[in-house]
Amino acid sequence: MKHVIVIGGGIAGMQCASELLRHGVAVTIIEKDKDLGGKIRNWHKLFPTFTPADEVLAEMRHRLKVSSNLTVKTNCEATKITAKRVTLSSGEELKCDATVIATGFTLFDAKIKEEYGYGIYDNVITSADLEQMFNENNVRLKQGGTPRRIAILHCVGSRDEKVCQRHCSKVCCVTGVKQAMELKEMFPTADVFNFYMDIRMFGPGYEEMYREAQTKHNVHFVRGRISEVSPTIDNRLQIKAEDTLTGRPLKIGVDMLVLLIGMKANDLNQTLVEECNLQAQPSGFMRAKDSFLHNVESNVGGVFYAGAVTAPKNVGESINEGTSAAHAVVEWLEKR
Amino acid sequence: MTFFANFCIPFIVGALIMFAVIVIKYLSWLRNLPKKDWILIIKNIFTWRTITAVWEVVSESLLHRRIFKVNPKLGYMHMSLAFGWFLLIAVGWAETVAYLGFRWVPLQGHVFFKYFVPLNGITAHKPLFDFVMDLLLLFVLSGVAMAWLKRARSRALGMKKTTNHILFDRIALSALWFIFPLRLIAESITCAIYGGGSFLTGGIGILLSKSIGVEALNFVYEPAWWLYSTALGVFFVAMPFSRYMHIFTEVPLIFLRHYKLRPEAKEKSYDNFEVEACSRCGICIDPCQLQSQLGINEVQSVYFLRDRRYNMLQQKIANNCLMCGRCEQICPVGINLNTLRLNSRSTMRNIPNESRYNYLRGTDRSQGEGKVGYFAGCMTLLTPKTLSSMQRIFEAAHESVWWADKDGGVCCGRPLKLSGEVDSAQKMIDYNCALFEKHQIKTLVTSCPICLKVFREEYNLEGIEVLHHSEYILRLMKQGRLKVRYMRGSTFTYHDPCELGRGSGIYDQPRAVIEAVGELLEPKHNRKNALCCGSSVANTAINDGQQLTIASAVASELEATGAETIVTACPLCKKAITRGTQQQVADLSEIVAQSLK
Repeated sequence: MKHVIVIGGGIAGMQCASELLRHGVAVTIIEKDKDLGGKIRNWHKLFPTFTPADEVLAEMRHRLKVSSNLTVKTNCEATKITAKRVTLSSGEELKCDATVIATGFTLFDAKIKEEYGYGIYDNVITSADLEQMFNENNVRLKQGGTPRRIAILHCVGSRDEKVCQRHCSKVCCVTGVKQAMELKEMFPTADVFNFYMDIRMFGPGYEEMYREAQTKHNVHFVRGRISEVSPTIDNRLQIKAEDTLTGRPLKIGVDMLVLLIGMKANDLNQTLVEECNLQAQPSGFMRAKDSFLHNVESNVGGVFYAGAVTAPKNVGESINEGTSAAHAVVEWLEKR
Repeated sequence: MTFFANFCIPFIVGALIMFAVIVIKYLSWLRNLPKKDWILIIKNIFTWRTITAVWEVVSESLLHRRIFKVNPKLGYMHMSLAFGWFLLIAVGWAETVAYLGFRWVPLQGHVFFKYFVPLNGITAHKPLFDFVMDLLLLFVLSGVAMAWLKRARSRALGMKKTTNHILFDRIALSALWFIFPLRLIAESITCAIYGGGSFLTGGIGILLSKSIGVEALNFVYEPAWWLYSTALGVFFVAMPFSRYMHIFTEVPLIFLRHYKLRPEAKEKSYDNFEVEACSRCGICIDPCQLQSQLGINEVQSVYFLRDRRYNMLQQKIANNCLMCGRCEQICPVGINLNTLRLNSRSTMRNIPNESRYNYLRGTDRSQGEGKVGYFAGCMTLLTPKTLSSMQRIFEAAHESVWWADKDGGVCCGRPLKLSGEVDSAQKMIDYNCALFEKHQIKTLVTSCPICLKVFREEYNLEGIEVLHHSEYILRLMKQGRLKVRYMRGSTFTYHDPCELGRGSGIYDQPRAVIEAVGELLEPKHNRKNALCCGSSVANTAINDGQQLTIASAVASELEATGAETIVTACPLCKKAITRGTQQQVADLSEIVAQSLK
């Protein structure tokens, strides 16, 4: 029986593993956290349908139902990856017939954009923090009370030369719209502002969502990036920005600022390039063999990619790539 | 004795052209000096400054002491050529006087003395002079040999990279390389035929006469002197148009500098002396991080000065400089490289639309009262941790503060100056000067070394003391107004910001502050040799990725100290280093605010 190692137990890795098992291949999943599920575990609802992330995760777990052919190694990282062998952080070496890298992305650290005051001012939070608050049903100000005015800033750590992240993280625009709508449902009298550079509504239903946010929820959209944030005497946040549609500088006080942090290339990608002979793009994301016909294959035979390790992707796309990668692996194994 | 032979013609013609060109150049530069500079010259010429200048000419133009300090091998090479050649001329002149008494001898008579007076029956002092002249020739030849070696393998002389020369320099360089070997050959042949000479020319002369015979040597005697004279002539003609113009130009430069002439924000005639005093030794190349980290090879000061001198300077060269001052610090001629580059930028700048500064009127949104004014600076407003730490420090010291720009203010003007927009910068300067005066502050504190430098050097702030926050914090500590807790076991390393260290000479104060709160570990390059963070506002040519490459290299050197926290005292350096490391980076004020008692 052929044996494939999947590195990364997020949604792409899980889907890939379940598909491989269906094809009668033995699978080992290497997961650095204590549970499978990846970043979606901390998410509340998914755009554009507001499906609870838990539902998706439950279905993914169901697909991976216990099989004697499946081994899951949690709290464990891979340090060296080849098609035939994977070395673990524990020093253990696993033999296999192919490997799939589904390690995903790293969230941009908002502290690097110090001018937005994350980690300095109490009520500056990231989109990931907000999802956590939604999960805990605890969206409130640090000093207590509910926010009356909230600003959501797009492109934090995306399309930003200053932090060497030139790429678009793709999912933040629609996340900003989704979170604005959720906040409005939670606090109907609050004002919610989205500060954006462009609104990129690329997926089915997204543009409709954007429209609904304006018509139904009265979410405000301001085209312009925030330049700096400072505290006011009454512990609110003062935002300086430019409304580039009217060409006017703008200054408003808000109670809460949500930073839509982008997807950075996984910090581990550097090791993949240096240790494993794999190729990365200038953005740091891994480079697939080609963009059209071999987009789940790496430059090394027998090493495959699935999910956001090669580019920012949404949940649906990542699951699809898990399936594609599994099929590519099976095809490759049959040729051996 | 007539002291003329046909072979002297190349030498005479060359020397005449050289002196004519040099005189014309110097006269026109001096004539175009602004009146202000002339007043300085007249005021200072009959003072002790002239005497100290003479001493500097000896120690720098002849002995090359500063190069010795940077790199002893290079120092020896330059000294053997300059001082050796000078001594050959001086002792040669003494030799003529010893034999002929004080009488007029044309220039070629001195230079080709061995030809005109090979033995001539004179015996007194002969062996002594022959010995000294041979020794000096050997001294110069050793320098030539090192110059050859440097061209072939610059690393052997401690230089990773040496200058890439243009055609004129190559001609002059080749001629210079051949002058002394050809002199050796010509004099040795003369000794072979007529006798005389000491261990070197005499010794080779004996060997030649034994191996080739006097008959054959007579045949090559005149051609050898022709070759020597031609090499001299070619060198002299090329000299005023090549790098070797520095040989003479450094002398008036030293005098003018002692008379307090300096380059300024706009180009002026004095700059010619500095530009042409560059010997293109290339010592400025190795310290340049654009070269060592990014492999950019055509922008360093040596190339900037060369391009400016030949009127072929392009904006992309002038703008591609961090202005970190690492080259200026090491330049053996002491050329004001940053100022010259800035006034070139000013000349080449795009003329801005001045009406865009109309908004300056009525933008005072400052708050608070106090004799101490705090000007955070634009970059500090973008690193609010520094701002809030300063607030805590002011509160702890019970200082009543006027916050000049907390709610937005007008830029200090230096970024504009750095991009050559001197006139626009002046608008900012005038605005801020009036603002400071209006609020009647006595002390001005800033957290940004970029602002600090322009406040100190360009602002007319009479009665207002300008302090960097490192100086201010240290003063509060010494006065006992600020009490900090020494955090045993905490380790810090300190990155010297260019504008604070090399730019304003502030090295000790931030270190004293750090040592009051924890242990300080020094990185490999520190103080005046500190590296630049790479994100200088002075460089508009490199991109963010290139800035990051430099920042990562700097960060790894700071990480190598093993310190927990990287401390700096410039908001721009802090931002730059933060993106190059995973380690904690803090402004000086942050670690002070954290350890307040």
